[in-house]
Formats: sequence, C-alpha cells, structure tokens
Amino acid sequence: MKQSVSLTVNGRPVETTVESRLSLADFLRLELRLTATHLGCEHGVCGACTVLIDGEPARSCIALTVSLGGAQITTLEGLADDPAMQIIKQAFHDKHGLQCGFCTPGMLISTRDLLKRTPKPSADAVREGLSGNLCRCTGYQGIVRAVLKAAEDLAAA
Amino acid sequence: MNHSDTKQGIGAAVKRNEDERLLNGQGTYLADLEIPGTLEAAFIRSPVAHARLGAVKVPSEYSHHVFLAADLDFAHPIVAATDDPQFQSTKQFALAKDKVRFVGEMIAVCIAPTRAQAEDIAQSCELELDELPALWDMDVATAPDAPLIHEHWRDNVYLKTDVSLGDLERARKDATISLSKSLSMGRHGAVPLECRGVLAHRDRRLNELTVYSSTQFPHVLRTCISRAIDLPESQVRVIAPDVGGGFGAKGNFSPEELTIAALAMKLDQPIRWIEDRRENLIASPHAREHRYDVTVHANNDGLILGLEAMIRVDAGAYSVWPWTAAMEAGMVVGILPGPYHVPAYAAKSQSICTNKTPMGPYRGVGRTGACFAMDVMIDALARELHLDPADVRLLNLIKPEDMPYQSITGKQYDSGDYPEAARQALAAIDIDAIRSRQATGEKDDRLIGFGMSCYTEQTAHGTAEWVSRGLPVVFGYEPALARLTPDGKLILHVGIQNHGQGLETTLAQVANEELGIAVADVVVRHGDSSVSPYGMGTFGSRSMTMAGGAVSVACGQLADKVKRIGAHLLQTTADAVTLSDGRVHTETASVALNEVAEAATLHPERLPEGEEPGLDISAVYEPKRSTGAFSYATHACVMAVDPGTGEMEILDYVVVHDCGRMVNPMIVEAQVVGGVAQGLGTALYEEIPYDNNGQPLSSTFLDYMIPGCAEVPDVRMLHIETPSPHTKYGIKGLGEGGAISPPAAVVNALNDALKSLGADITQTPVTPLRVLEAIESGAVSPL
Repeated sequence: MKQSVSLTVNGRPVETTVESRLSLADFLRLELRLTATHLGCEHGVCGACTVLIDGEPARSCIALTVSLGGAQITTLEGLADDPAMQIIKQAFHDKHGLQCGFCTPGMLISTRDLLKRTPKPSADAVREGLSGNLCRCTGYQGIVRAVLKAAEDLAAA
Repeated sequence: MNHSDTKQGIGAAVKRNEDERLLNGQGTYLADLEIPGTLEAAFIRSPVAHARLGAVKVPSEYSHHVFLAADLDFAHPIVAATDDPQFQSTKQFALAKDKVRFVGEMIAVCIAPTRAQAEDIAQSCELELDELPALWDMDVATAPDAPLIHEHWRDNVYLKTDVSLGDLERARKDATISLSKSLSMGRHGAVPLECRGVLAHRDRRLNELTVYSSTQFPHVLRTCISRAIDLPESQVRVIAPDVGGGFGAKGNFSPEELTIAALAMKLDQPIRWIEDRRENLIASPHAREHRYDVTVHANNDGLILGLEAMIRVDAGAYSVWPWTAAMEAGMVVGILPGPYHVPAYAAKSQSICTNKTPMGPYRGVGRTGACFAMDVMIDALARELHLDPADVRLLNLIKPEDMPYQSITGKQYDSGDYPEAARQALAAIDIDAIRSRQATGEKDDRLIGFGMSCYTEQTAHGTAEWVSRGLPVVFGYEPALARLTPDGKLILHVGIQNHGQGLETTLAQVANEELGIAVADVVVRHGDSSVSPYGMGTFGSRSMTMAGGAVSVACGQLADKVKRIGAHLLQTTADAVTLSDGRVHTETASVALNEVAEAATLHPERLPEGEEPGLDISAVYEPKRSTGAFSYATHACVMAVDPGTGEMEILDYVVVHDCGRMVNPMIVEAQVVGGVAQGLGTALYEEIPYDNNGQPLSSTFLDYMIPGCAEVPDVRMLHIETPSPHTKYGIKGLGEGGAISPPAAVVNALNDALKSLGADITQTPVTPLRVLEAIESGAVSPL
C-alpha cells in the first residue's frame, strides 16, 4: 500500500508517495540516491545506517519512511559543510579511524552526536558511546583515538 | 584532507590516500552502483539441512521471474578438488539439483525491480522437500551407519591424511610425561560489515559480460566465470568496486556469482544480488570449526620431544573453490608445531563433510586453530609439571641462531628472533607484577590470570607452497603496470584488491621510494580485470609483499628511464642525477617529472637518441624463494574472571610483532589490532552452533555477536623488524597475523586464573556459561 509523506532531507523539502513498508534507509538510498548511508544488517544492530532524525541519531534501516511526516532527516551528505563534522573527519584521517570505510558514515554521525553531548569524553566513555556502531576492520583503537582527538580539536576550534 | 608528512617512502606513517572518498560518503560499494534497468535478485534457499528436492511450485504470474537449476543447465558446476587421488570431490551447481545439502543452499532465484518485490515472489513459491537425516556434526557424519551426503562417495570424509615424521617411538620412550587433551573451536563466520554482492550485465557494444562483485580476486573470478559459462576470457570483465571488508569470505568463486553471471547472460538483462545479513551468516563460507586430540611428549623440564595430533575439520557440504575442503586441515598439519622446535611429529587429519554451510578461508585460516591447540597444550604441560608456561615456551621456541630453520613438516622459516618477541611481551605485560597480584588476590574476589601465545605465520606464499597443496591455481606472483601521465603523475595498475588494507597508500609509498614522487600524486587502480595485467588478488597476507615487489620493479625501471630523459634535458648523464620531490636533480639544476613525462609522451623530439617514447612499464614480481616470508608474534594478556557468574574481562593485551620491514607502521598497527579484535571474537563471542536438525542457531546480529567498541581492549604493541631475506625491502605479510593468537592467549589466561579451581577450558568461544561448566567439572574431579 502506498502513502504520501512530506519530510525534509538535508534541508530540502521532499514530497513523495511510497510503499508503507519502505524503510528510511531504502528511501534515502534508492529514491534519493544518497548512498553514504550504508546497510550492514537491516535489523537495527550494526549502526552503519545511522542518520539524524530531527537531530537525533537513529537507525534508518528500521525507521519507516511513512512514519516520518514533517521530520528533518540529515545524512552524512547533509553534513558536508558542518564545521564539527569536518573536524571529526580530519581526526579520523589523522588517527587512522577507518579501514574499509563501510561503517564510517554511521560512525561519524554517532561521533558527532557523542561529542555534542559529551564534549570531553574519557576513552571509556567513547567506547561506551560508540558501542552501537560495529566495525569489523579497525578493532576500534584508531576510532577511539580519532574521537578523542576530535574532542580536543573541537574544543580548540 | 591535509597531508603534512615529508618523508613518504618505506617506513613512513603516511596517512591514507583512500580516506577522503570514504570519509565523504563517496565510497562506492556494490549496492551503490547504478546500471540502468537492473533487476534485483532474491534467492530461495533451502530451509532444511538435507533433503531430496522435488518440484518448486511457482505461481503462474511469476513464471518469468523465477529461475531454477534447469534454467541454468548450461553453467558448469563448481568443482574444487586437490590433486590427491583420495580426495572426494563435490559438484556444486549454480542452483541445487535433485538434492539440498545445507540450510541456505540456493534452490531458485527470483528477480524483480526491487529486492522487496523479489522477496515477495520468493515467498509465494512452494518447495517440495523430502527430508533426509541431517548430518549436523562431525561425529554424526562419521558414525558407521551415517547416510552419504554425496551418494557416490565412500564415506563422508573429503580427505584423510596421515604423516609421521622423525623418531616418534623414541620420543614416546624418552618422555617422562605424555599429556593428552581434546580441544575444539566453535564454527563461525568471517562477517565483513558489507555483505557479499554481485551485479552482472552484458555490455552490448563490447560484447562483454561485465560482472561487478564484492570480491577479493577479480582476475581469478573472471577465469572462473569464463570457464563456467563457456565465454572467452576476452568477453568477461570483473570489477570489484569499493569492498567493505573481506577477511577471506570474498575470496572464493561462489554459486551466487555463478548464478547471477549466468542469468544476466541468459536474459541479456542486468541483475544484481545483495546479500542480507541472514544470508551472510547462514550461507557465506564458515570458518574455524576444528577438533583436536593432541598428545605432547616431554621431559621434566618441559622440553618437547614429540607431538601427536588427530585433527578433524567440519568442512561443510561442499568444497569451496579454489581452496578445497581440505585446506584447513592441510594447513594445520603443516604448521601445528608452529614456532617451537618439535623433533618428532605424527598427525592425522580428516576433512569431514556435513550438512552445514561450506567452510572457506577466514583470516588466519588453519593457523588460528593450530596455534590454539599447540599453545593450550604448552600451558597444560607447564601446569602438569608445575613450571611457568613462559619458561616452557622459551625453552622450546626456535632460537635465532637456528634461522633459517626447516620445520619438521618442511616449512622454511626464513628469519626472526622468536624468543626475543616472547621476552619483550613478558616484560611489557610485567609478568612479575601479575604473579604477585595473583598471590595477593583481588578485592572484588575475581580471579586473574596470565596467558600468552606465540605463532609463526607463513605469508606471501609463493609458487612452491601452492604447488605442494595441489590446488587448481598457483598464486605465485603479482604484476604491476606503472604509468607516468603527461602531467607527471603516476598511475599504478595492480592485480590485487584493496578493501581496507591501505594499499592505495602503501603501494604509492613504494613508488615514492623508487621515483621520489609524492604519495598524493600516485593513483592506485585495482580491482578491475580490464585495467591491470593478470593478478591474483588479495588474500593470504600477500598483497604488500607481492604487489609491493611488482610496483618496486616497475617503478625502478621507470626511474631509470626518467633519469635518462631528465639527464638529457639537463644536458648531463643519467648517473649524475637523482630523483626526489617529484623532480630530477643534478647538484645545481633540476627538471620536474611533468617535463620529463611531456617529453616522453607529447614531445618525442626532446628525447635522447635511441630512447623509446612512452612511460608505461609493466613488471611481474616473485619473491626470490617461493616458500613464504614468516611473520611472527607473541601475544600476552591478563584476564579477570568472576567465578560466580563466569563473567570475564580483558585487563591488558600486549602484542610483540615482527612483519619484517614495515612499509607504514600506522597501517601495520591497525591491521594487527583489527586482527586481534577478530581473534577475540573467535575466543569469546562468535559462534554459529547447529541443532540436531542441522539448523544454524545464530542468523542475526542479535544472536551472533561480533566484538563492539566496549569489548575490545586498547592493544599495546611493540615491533621487531627482521627483514625477510627473500622479499623486496624485506617485507613480510601481516594482514592475518593479529587473528591467530587471541584464542590461545585468552584460554591460557582463563585457565591460569581458574587453576586453583581445577577448571580446564578447552573450547572456544569461551562464554560465561562455559566458564561455569568448566568450574563445575573441575570441582567434581579436581586435577
């Protein structure tokens, strides 16, 4: 069954008519061709598909598009000019916080949210704070270092 | 991204070229590709472990959307056999014919504009299955009255092997202790975060079947597809786009690749399949399920006199191409003695066929199991003799003065100081402090224990190794085509595939070493059978050694030519110039690479007499000896256990590692840590158990746990650099090593912690429940 819905994606109003079962992730990827949002498990565990819904991180694979009428959706593409995200990306580059890059968009969005809530986290707080984002490559050490560096750089910015 | 490093050659911690696109969400993975008109595929997979396959009922409205084995009968089955005449081989068809042999085996493929619609079609079909007994475990499959999974076989064993080397009789006689144990590792998956995927379409202009696959070896896959559907290789192109992790699971020729390629060809229609996580856990090749019965013969000092082992591997229902179902057991037999001097050795192995998902290569391959068996035995021996396990290890480790060392199984360990790695690890973890802390006891009543493990890892296996395994392909070399463009930038076309290893950077560092060109000015093109000479791909800790060697040779030859041309432009001779900072220098003048390149490409009249135009150099590299470069390490860890709940915590983890000359220490460390995280998954978390109907019991991330950020400790790392005498720059492979030792180190630490309770953990993954069971059985019959 199809339903119409109006929402905002990366600051752009979108009006569409979609199958009621269409997930937000599939809507972003298939209809809007925003492919920075990756699908790692499609059951809300791995965190690769994390986007912001009204500013809060959410799993786009288990959010239904039709339930998001009026919502503001932000993907990694929508944060290209975000100063905090630029600092976080540079820190991930400097501290080798990524390998294959598949978990990276979700990891970056969760990091931005973590540092917003906890500007000076301890290493343990980073590990706890990112425990909803799985990475199979890095063993997380580079990621933790990157987040701690990003926290410092954001404080200095 | 801002690059600030000045030194960029071998040994520099250069930041990665590939980061920018990945950080900006511009990585392009299989599911991100856009080929107009692509239909999406969903497979109907067997819901049962073992059955005769009757009719598949397809609703008439979907008759043109569902395809069965008969529709693809022009595709040859996948057959992966060793050259051992005793090996019983399997034929795996694109889609199951007549019979299904594991839960997840493909029966039909449904296509539709979206995956959701394809799944709806799959749901609407009905299967007629006449169930047969499920041979869900090695013991069940090898019971005397077990039915045969492949009807024409003698028994349900792919291959049995039996070797006896050295004077074992004497070892038995001289031994003052002969200790036997049974050990086992759980079955699990490789679990890259991006699942597998394939997209195939026919390019009508080129008359070429283009197959995009999330694969680790595009050229080899091209050969497979060409042979399987009888197309000339010139009419098949395989492209691996960005690949979101592989770890071995994407280095096979899979029936999914065969089906999608064959169907796209048959229908002249672009078709894509994206594996979902459930398929990934139940149908991607599995790993690790080994059982060991080991006896170690030793004297009272703990000196090993002889080793005997029975190794059984649950290889699943089909033999995976090209590695074969005998790969795991074969590697274990060859490397079980590991870094220890073992003068007498006997090993029997069985690679057993069961109604389970086929077993394929996974980071570490047989070595993780072999290291687990050997190192857990050494700790058991030390406990039995009331010796410190570290002392027993140091007594038995091969000495640096014995390098190069030929192991009892004929492996040529090329170089290194194994005891030094062990000593450094003991010092770094402060073994004395741990022992006194153990004597004092913990305030929270937890028990703490120390464990260590040493391995040696054959990497960059060359021609001799693969020939000895009798595989369908001998992966002995790697090519590189180095191409300087008229603007003075470099493109490296290589046959490996980069999926997280940083090869777009480290190969550029090799170019920098030879040509003095900035890493940022080097583009590495890989993963496409049409852009590079034939190459073997990325697996077996080989790419840096092999492709690095090839890039070095090609860039070295290119450097000679650049010097000749640059010297001519500077009106001097080639021996009077050097290359650095992207320029050709004399002591007083210089010319930029782009001027040299322009002369060679656009202005041949500027070239010295007799110099051929063009700046493309193709080279092939093989190590001087093809018996492999051996990396090694010692892992040491401290674990705390709550004996009341079985809950465990890693308090400290140290790795002392030697992978020869390090091209990029930042990347080396990250590869090791990533491997350790996966090894901790094997040790503590990851398992796909099967019930006695042959149903896999963990098929989502809710019941299959990969280590998260809070589970993996901060790994402390120390490096030793012993160059390999056989390879360019002395590089040794390192991709897999981190995943080898963690199960042994963790189990040894737990058994050390629980020593006073008589508990004896012999099985991975070590869950809290298994800790409690070990404590309980220890209390019933204390050692």
